[in-house]
Amino acid sequence: MTHATAQTGVERGFGQRLKTFLKDYYIYLVLIAVVVVLSTANLDKFPLFERGNFLSERNIINILRISAPILTLAGAFTLLMISGYIDLSVGSAMSLSAVVYAMLVINGVPFVPAFAATVVVGVILGAINGFLVIRLKITPVIATLITLSLYKGIALLLVEDGVSAIKSGGGLKMPGWFNDYGRDGVLLGLPWAFWVAVLVTLAMIVVQDRMKLGKYAAATGGNPTAAELSGINTKRTVITLYILVGICAALAGIARSSFMSLGDPLSGDGMELTAILVVLLGGTAFSGGEGRVLKSFIGALIIMSLTVGMLTLVPAYFQTLVVGAALLLAAASNHLVSRKDD
Amino acid sequence: MTDQAIAGRRLQARDNKLSDEMFITALVAGAAIVLFLLASMLVPNFFQFQNVVNLVTNNWSVIALGVGVTFLLVSGNFDLSVGGIVALSGVMAVWFAQASDGTNPLSTGWGLPAWLAMMGALLCAVMIGALNALFVVVLRVPSIIVTLGTMMLARGIAQVVTQGSQRNTNLPSDFGALGNMTMFGTSIKLPVVLMAALILIAVFVERKTVFGRLTYLIGANPVASRLSGVDNARHVVNLYLFSSLVAGGVGILLASEFKSGFSNRGTLMEFDALVISLLGGVAIAGGFGSVIGMFFGAIVLATVTSAATGLVLSPDWQFTLKAIAVFIAIMAQTWALARRHSS
Repeated sequence: MTHATAQTGVERGFGQRLKTFLKDYYIYLVLIAVVVVLSTANLDKFPLFERGNFLSERNIINILRISAPILTLAGAFTLLMISGYIDLSVGSAMSLSAVVYAMLVINGVPFVPAFAATVVVGVILGAINGFLVIRLKITPVIATLITLSLYKGIALLLVEDGVSAIKSGGGLKMPGWFNDYGRDGVLLGLPWAFWVAVLVTLAMIVVQDRMKLGKYAAATGGNPTAAELSGINTKRTVITLYILVGICAALAGIARSSFMSLGDPLSGDGMELTAILVVLLGGTAFSGGEGRVLKSFIGALIIMSLTVGMLTLVPAYFQTLVVGAALLLAAASNHLVSRKDD
Repeated sequence: MTDQAIAGRRLQARDNKLSDEMFITALVAGAAIVLFLLASMLVPNFFQFQNVVNLVTNNWSVIALGVGVTFLLVSGNFDLSVGGIVALSGVMAVWFAQASDGTNPLSTGWGLPAWLAMMGALLCAVMIGALNALFVVVLRVPSIIVTLGTMMLARGIAQVVTQGSQRNTNLPSDFGALGNMTMFGTSIKLPVVLMAALILIAVFVERKTVFGRLTYLIGANPVASRLSGVDNARHVVNLYLFSSLVAGGVGILLASEFKSGFSNRGTLMEFDALVISLLGGVAIAGGFGSVIGMFFGAIVLATVTSAATGLVLSPDWQFTLKAIAVFIAIMAQTWALARRHSS
């Protein structure tokens, strides 16, 4: 984006500058617009929010708490898509992590070891994806569809027959501290899960801007052959990115599991679609090479605000329709925005 | 077909006795037979003629969807929207056909005659196909993302129309005729016969018509086909319309069979249609695969899942089994082709 500005020189017209401005900042404008609309809209028949205020402390805390999983996931997923690869298994990886974490905790493992073990599971799940895609050379979409099915299958098998999720019962009891991580406010009323999501996002921004991995990801997505020829180990780059996504999926699983205080093997269903949606909304080109971690984070905030806002306005069975339409719109607008460079 | 293509084919025929496609198809068919015999040894009462018939008749819907999906994959495009379209067309057909004097919103429809309601539902299905084509061909958005979006859009519309559940009351009596009609004095139903006819037509189109061969060319080398004057865009548009038409037909037949429009019907069918195509040797990169292979892929999957049920494994096993089956199929096919070409 910055060299595009330099190339066009000083004689850029107002329209050109407006386009560049829009391209760089539209996501923030959309966020502001969504917040303004949701906080001022006062439809007589449908009170948008209890107490009529989107910007109430309670509501903001609530939205940010629910958003923790997707906020955790968005950064690493952006880097992976920038490198031109995709991971459809994130939802299943998240479910499996949630089940593993809940199983460890309900069997008496303390917080820190259970947390660490689940993150290790995330590393393994990500590494399997990387192995299938890079070593066995299976197309990313198919490889991660296989693991989508596999991880979900394992999560379902870990939960006993006839029980829907890992929860108190059958002689085992979930300890009282289980949902502190996802619900209990520690700073500004927000729980650990949210702050971990912020830390992960900051780490991903550092990776993108200050570390070789970020540059390598962009190079791999922009032109794999050129990247390879200039000495970049694209294989190692992509495997590392899959592992990062796996770790973030595990963290998201822990956040979701702790928020709902159960290990639900279906809790991550559809997460891959939400992740694709927020990353596309953030302007990441699906052909790879371009995108910003921070914008995906903002994209996730927009989607979650809209989801929560929508639930107060229309019945829940509108949700699939709206997410599908949003995905198509994001894909189309993403296409139109990135075409301006041609 | 051009002389050159015929010459090329003869050349290939001299090199290997079978084309790579037929080789893979034979491999999949062999795997289906071996798996069936294996299951017969492990599962009591599995080795019965009726069981073979059931493997096909229980899966007519996914096999039919697989035809459209296979053609699109051969042309190098995904179609994951078919499961959503199955739900949409079924719900729409029921909604259009329900009498307009119902007592509550879910039993009140448009009061159209059954045949007109079904045509209307087909139109809705084709509109989703047109949307796929618009995004993939005109806007050049990757097909996987587009069709995931339209899958949700189609299912979303179905959910809104049924308010998240189903419509099954106040239907005209002839609505269930099509899906429950038995054929030739046997228990085989009309949808199964239609599926068989669709497979035969698809095989003919795929092997013997210009349209079919062009699909392979577009998938194998889109640039070459464009340079040789093929209208790639139009071809892919037609394939998406065809696939959505088939999916719409499947949805209507299912709605007719159960006399209900259920918004969650067809969940994961898009995934299964893709799985059986992959099992049948269709290559994701395009230009390779066959409808017959897909059919045997479906038999492989059906044998594995029904054997698993026979072995009293919990239904939760299905996801793991599918993952393992696809993985093995892809690795085996890659390995077999590599060996064949190196020898």
